[in-house]
Amino acid sequence: MAKPIDLLQGTLDMLILKAVSLGPLHGYGILLRIQQISKGRLEIQQGSLYPALYRLEHQGWIASEWGESENKRKAKYYRLTAAGKRRFQAETEKWNRMADLIAGILSATPEEV
Amino acid sequence: MTLWSRVSSWLRATVRRSRVESEMDAELRFHMEAYAEDLVRGGVPREEALRRARLEFGGIENTKEECREALGVHFADTLLHDVRYGVRTMRRAPGFTLTAVLALALGIGANTAIFSVVNAVLLRPLPYDRPDRLMQVWHTPPQKSFPGMPIFTVSPANFLDWRTQNHSFEGMAAYGFGRYTITGSGHPETLRMVAATNGLLAILHAQPLLGRGFLDGEYESGHEHEVLLSYGLWRSYFAGNPDIVGKNIQLNGQTFTVVGVMGAEFDFPVSGDPDARAQMWKPMAWTDHERAVRDNRNYGVIARLKDGVTWKQAQAELDAISNRLAQDYPNDDKGWGAIAVPMRDDLVSDVRPALLILLGAVALVLLIACANVANLMLARALSRRKEVAVRTALGATRRRLLQQALSETLLLAVAGGTLGLAFAHYGVILIVKFLAQRLPRSNEIALDGWVLAFTLGISLLTGFAAGLLPALRMAKADLNEALKQGLGRTAVDSGGSRTRNVLVVSEVALSLMLLIGAGLLIRSLWVLQHVNPGFDPSRVVTMAVSVPPGKFAEPQQQIGYFGRVLERVRSLPGVQSAGLIDSLPLSGDGSHQPISVEGRPPAPMADLPEVDVRLISPGYMGAMHIPLLNGRDVDDSDVAGRPGALLISESMAKSFWPNEDAVGKHLTLYFFPDVPRVVVGVVADVKMTAMNETQPAPTLYFPLAQLSPVRGAAWRSIPMSLAVRTGSAPLSVLPAITGAIRETDGDVPLLNIRTMDDSVSASLSPERFAMLLLGAFAGLALLLAVVGIYSVMSYSVSRRTNEIGIRIALGASRGDVLLLVVRQAMLLALIGSAIGIAGALSLSRLMASQLYRVRPTDPITFVTVAVLLMLVSLAASYLPARRAMRVEPTAALRYE
Repeated sequence: MAKPIDLLQGTLDMLILKAVSLGPLHGYGILLRIQQISKGRLEIQQGSLYPALYRLEHQGWIASEWGESENKRKAKYYRLTAAGKRRFQAETEKWNRMADLIAGILSATPEEV
Repeated sequence: MTLWSRVSSWLRATVRRSRVESEMDAELRFHMEAYAEDLVRGGVPREEALRRARLEFGGIENTKEECREALGVHFADTLLHDVRYGVRTMRRAPGFTLTAVLALALGIGANTAIFSVVNAVLLRPLPYDRPDRLMQVWHTPPQKSFPGMPIFTVSPANFLDWRTQNHSFEGMAAYGFGRYTITGSGHPETLRMVAATNGLLAILHAQPLLGRGFLDGEYESGHEHEVLLSYGLWRSYFAGNPDIVGKNIQLNGQTFTVVGVMGAEFDFPVSGDPDARAQMWKPMAWTDHERAVRDNRNYGVIARLKDGVTWKQAQAELDAISNRLAQDYPNDDKGWGAIAVPMRDDLVSDVRPALLILLGAVALVLLIACANVANLMLARALSRRKEVAVRTALGATRRRLLQQALSETLLLAVAGGTLGLAFAHYGVILIVKFLAQRLPRSNEIALDGWVLAFTLGISLLTGFAAGLLPALRMAKADLNEALKQGLGRTAVDSGGSRTRNVLVVSEVALSLMLLIGAGLLIRSLWVLQHVNPGFDPSRVVTMAVSVPPGKFAEPQQQIGYFGRVLERVRSLPGVQSAGLIDSLPLSGDGSHQPISVEGRPPAPMADLPEVDVRLISPGYMGAMHIPLLNGRDVDDSDVAGRPGALLISESMAKSFWPNEDAVGKHLTLYFFPDVPRVVVGVVADVKMTAMNETQPAPTLYFPLAQLSPVRGAAWRSIPMSLAVRTGSAPLSVLPAITGAIRETDGDVPLLNIRTMDDSVSASLSPERFAMLLLGAFAGLALLLAVVGIYSVMSYSVSRRTNEIGIRIALGASRGDVLLLVVRQAMLLALIGSAIGIAGALSLSRLMASQLYRVRPTDPITFVTVAVLLMLVSLAASYLPARRAMRVEPTAALRYE
């Protein structure tokens, strides 16, 4: 039970960073953007978004401030900090390397092993 | 950057807690409403949309909790919760709380008080620049003449040779003490003066606050009429007047110029007693004659090591110089070495063992207090098993339980530490009051930042130490077992009771060790109080008649003055007898001089035997009730021009003429060579330095009236002390006595007025105080051990109620039951005592230096203390045993 959550958490952090890297968003907006980018293929438990947001803010990757939403309501907006930007780039590279590696291993034919 | 963001976000979250909470609420609410609105726009009815939004969001409380955790407020939160919970549980068990806090407060308080003494006296650097480079340099005397005496003051010529010949020290200075009476303006007052050779301030790296130090020319004999004032004297006597620099003052009838004032923190030599601090400093100016004196050793020497020179190298060089001097001046220096001792060690070497023993004792007390609290916590942990089990069942993790149990003992320890600090505050006041005179630097003892840090440290440590075991047990509790057994009365909790037994046994062992230490000191003090000092101290009042140097130009004038004083005092009503001596018994002052005995081969001075030499007036032996064992006392017929009369002590008679009559033997005093003298009487030995003197010092007395010129020194006034035996309480006659002396001459100050009884008691005060302190700590330890035994036995009885009921039902008598409980308690006490005795046997020899005529393994003390402890354990187990005896079998069996 614990392990899949961990894995998801790590991924969720990257998705959040990606979402806010395109511009400031409130929590619900982040959820919508992730679903939009993933073309609805990714299901995210809505509540789990917030602990991740708080953690990222606590670590200094994102910052928040209160602003007005598209329908004139007060909402908390998150944006990427400079440190978050570097972090996101590093994470993205790491992820790509890892993905290539895993893909390479998984696609290996018996002859290659 | 990120560290900062974490800390600031944590701070924000913790400090502005309610704001974070409301923002979190608003944010989550916005999310759900925004989603619901989207759903409504997609055609879902509003009610249904809101319901689905909540549902799809997931557990809101859970989310919030995770958010809080992400912010780091979680730790502070649970801590706060634990503390609140702890306070609540404690309030529910006031008896337990009070006992535990008090035990910890006493333990921590005792440690804090003793540590503050140790900190000021042993640990804190001396108040000088780079004090670790400062050395005290002493002579080491030949052991033949001064058995057991490790160090000796220094002669001028030897000091000067050391100073010129060494390459190890940046500077070296000799100093001596004197008393000067200030007159001229206001009231006459006797002041403590330190005379020092060139370089004292440079060695100490000290500067005057006002004015200047001494100039080179001011160290020439005849030009040394300058003084530096201490800050205290400047403030008190001269009202802090800054214009004092350059002014003249009258000291002993001579004019001195004030050249400067030292700062408030300057103190040399360092002393703990504010009544012994130097008030003035003047240049030491030796005449050429005095510079050549090698055989009269009266000065202290300090020096500062050069950078890069080690203590060892300096000592090696001093050894080489001493060897050379012994060869060059065999008559004076044969057998005399030199030793450099770091200044702080020199200052505290006398008190270090006693302080370390006390520190050890309070550490033991704290250990016992810890064991006690652990014991109490264990008992409570067991009675709270059900609560713990329920909490475990509800999902509390082991770590969480452990943290909570620990925070309870930490809370107890912090409360104990706070109360202990209050105890320590009063303890320190008491210690300083009783020990100021014997404890160097006692004026620096205070509850300062270091002490507070120490207290906080040991409080936390104590909390952990006392709480860890019970916390582990509590967290380990088996859920199923605990829930099944309900209150657990019949539970076989062998692990828990074993732990508690071990704790009680160690409490008994530790307190036995402390009791034995205190017992040994009590025995030693008892022996000391029953030592015969050689004189009868009751109804004798003494005072120093401090004739200022230079007051009388000729010795005969001073002798005449003292004669008149005696005559007047003796004629007073209520005075039985009166006499004078230069150094009173128990004062530790007085000179030690070589003598040559007629009929024995002549020898160089270094090889001559040495004895204590005292100047007395007729009537001294009578006033002090020192028994005359043989021959006659000196009397008014023993005056200048008559053959020199001598009284010698019994130990001197025995060591010089073991099988002969000493009376009638002729001898010459090396320093008073002009008058041949003959022994006219033998008197009893007297305690010269302290009541705990083990070897009587061979002593010779000669009459003041037969004083002859001192070899190699000019005439100086001789301060004498007056001893008066009165018919009634000495203090009632005292005003008449001091009045009579002032009438004889108003310019002679009287110092150190006290009864001989007070001197005896003052001589024992450090021993008495050490005994009281250690006794108090041991009593504390005993009390804690009793509480420990009592609580273990009570617990054991209540746990075995069922078993006891069955035994009684099966025919066991009440006596059998009593025995059952008492036997268990006595077994614990016996094991504890055995371990304690073994511990005491191996540790008590550390106390040997503090004991007088009592061996560290004194069987009487060991047996008495062990018996006492067994009796007390018996008493502690009696109440629980009685409760066990009264168990009604029917009630006990129904109990489950």
